[in-house]
Amino acid sequence: MQTFDHDREPILSLRNVGVTYRRPSLLGRRSSYTALADVSFDLYHGESLAVIGRNGAGKSTLLKLLAGIIRPDRGALRDRGLKAALLARQVGFDGELTGRDNIVLSALLLGFDRAEIRAQMADIIAFAELGEHIDQPLSTYSAGMRARLGFAVSARLEPDILLIDEALGVGDAGFQAKSTQLIEDRLASDRTVVLVTHSPQVVRRLCNRAVWIDNGMSRMEGEVDAVLNAYSAQYPPAVPRGGPASLAG
Amino acid sequence: MNTLQFTTAVAFKAYAELRSEASRYFLSIFWWVLDPVLSMSVYYLIFGVLMLRGGPDFAPFLLTGIVVWQWLERSALHGMGSIYGNGYLMNLIQVPKIYFPVVKIVVDTVKFGIVFLLLLVALWSLGYAPSLAYLALPAVMLVQLLLIAGVAFLLAGLMPLLPDLKYLAEVTFRLGFFVSGILFPPSRVPDQYRDLYQLNPVVNLIEAYRSILLRGEWPDWGWLLVVAAIGLLLLAAGRLVIARFEYDYPRLLSR
Repeated sequence: MQTFDHDREPILSLRNVGVTYRRPSLLGRRSSYTALADVSFDLYHGESLAVIGRNGAGKSTLLKLLAGIIRPDRGALRDRGLKAALLARQVGFDGELTGRDNIVLSALLLGFDRAEIRAQMADIIAFAELGEHIDQPLSTYSAGMRARLGFAVSARLEPDILLIDEALGVGDAGFQAKSTQLIEDRLASDRTVVLVTHSPQVVRRLCNRAVWIDNGMSRMEGEVDAVLNAYSAQYPPAVPRGGPASLAG
Repeated sequence: MNTLQFTTAVAFKAYAELRSEASRYFLSIFWWVLDPVLSMSVYYLIFGVLMLRGGPDFAPFLLTGIVVWQWLERSALHGMGSIYGNGYLMNLIQVPKIYFPVVKIVVDTVKFGIVFLLLLVALWSLGYAPSLAYLALPAVMLVQLLLIAGVAFLLAGLMPLLPDLKYLAEVTFRLGFFVSGILFPPSRVPDQYRDLYQLNPVVNLIEAYRSILLRGEWPDWGWLLVVAAIGLLLLAAGRLVIARFEYDYPRLLSR
């Protein structure tokens, strides 16, 4: 595994970041929910950073922050305007448009230009195993087909920072193995990847560094082993029951 | 996302949407044209034939008003629901939220363009020949587009905050149809109310189209300027609202 020179400037840094969802109500009862209370960590170019935490720790809110979809209510998030994209099960899908149109549209919205999209089009279609269905409206696709297309789009087009949610076991066994392989390749490469997971095995195998998020707070940031040991001490490893078959395999 | 990427995405989405709509329905584009013609027939029957309020030019008079009105109404109402209806997408990708109403406006403007061309052909065949006043058409259309963008942006920006706005706006447009000079000219309005009546920007827009297309006269530039000013004001307000809540919409619409 590579080592990193952390004297460099981080490409993304969070300092005491907090996000609270508020639901205004006409009856005056405002319900609010704090998804992230106090999170700080840095992301460096070329590393595979694991964000580990249990369900409800605020991981999906954190991904939205990193993707630039929402802004923090408290604290500071500094980025360098790099293209960060969520590796999602579905990306910007419009049921009335064909699979091909959806690829183009998703890619345009992710900030890729026509030339990049043309260059990747055949690969995306082949990876998604859609064949001639690619020119049918998306509303005729099965859930599995949509999932494969979504994965293919966000995996094949390479953003500066790839954000991966662990729950990626998509498609049948064959496609699952293929998608898992692709994620592992990305994690092992020198691309910048953030992997959000609650599975320590995956982190140990594929990540350079880890951050532990607990109840919306960043508890620890550092070398994988140290963070995982602390995490396991708090939550003994009975946790990953029915965990992500896609990555743990 | 820079301006070029934004424009490309809008153009592609609008093109794909129009193409898919045209391929989904058997009569497709024909419906865009049939709709205003059917509306005209109904109002012609009620006001022209049954209530004898028409006059010789009533059919082209109505048709012009209805075509112009539909461009505004469609774009505004489609634009209104566009941010609200895309909560799922905006939670996956950071998209500038103004993208959603802009796409709707482009789609409805293309449809209007086709219907408008056919309106011109219909008018020519009825003997309303083109005149020098046609030179003012681009200006009038631009003013209408300003007004449309203003209304659509403002409604689109506010609806995620106040979903009830949908019903309010729909009722307003339904009533607005009857007080926007589609069925009768401003000269039919009693003198003491006429200035107030003409504060409705749509009245002046429709009159501008009619004076160009039906009478071969230049539009009333003064009133058109007022409409442009109202449009710009709404546009600024709409953009401000959308920019203010850019990163709040995904939260409001996330579940």
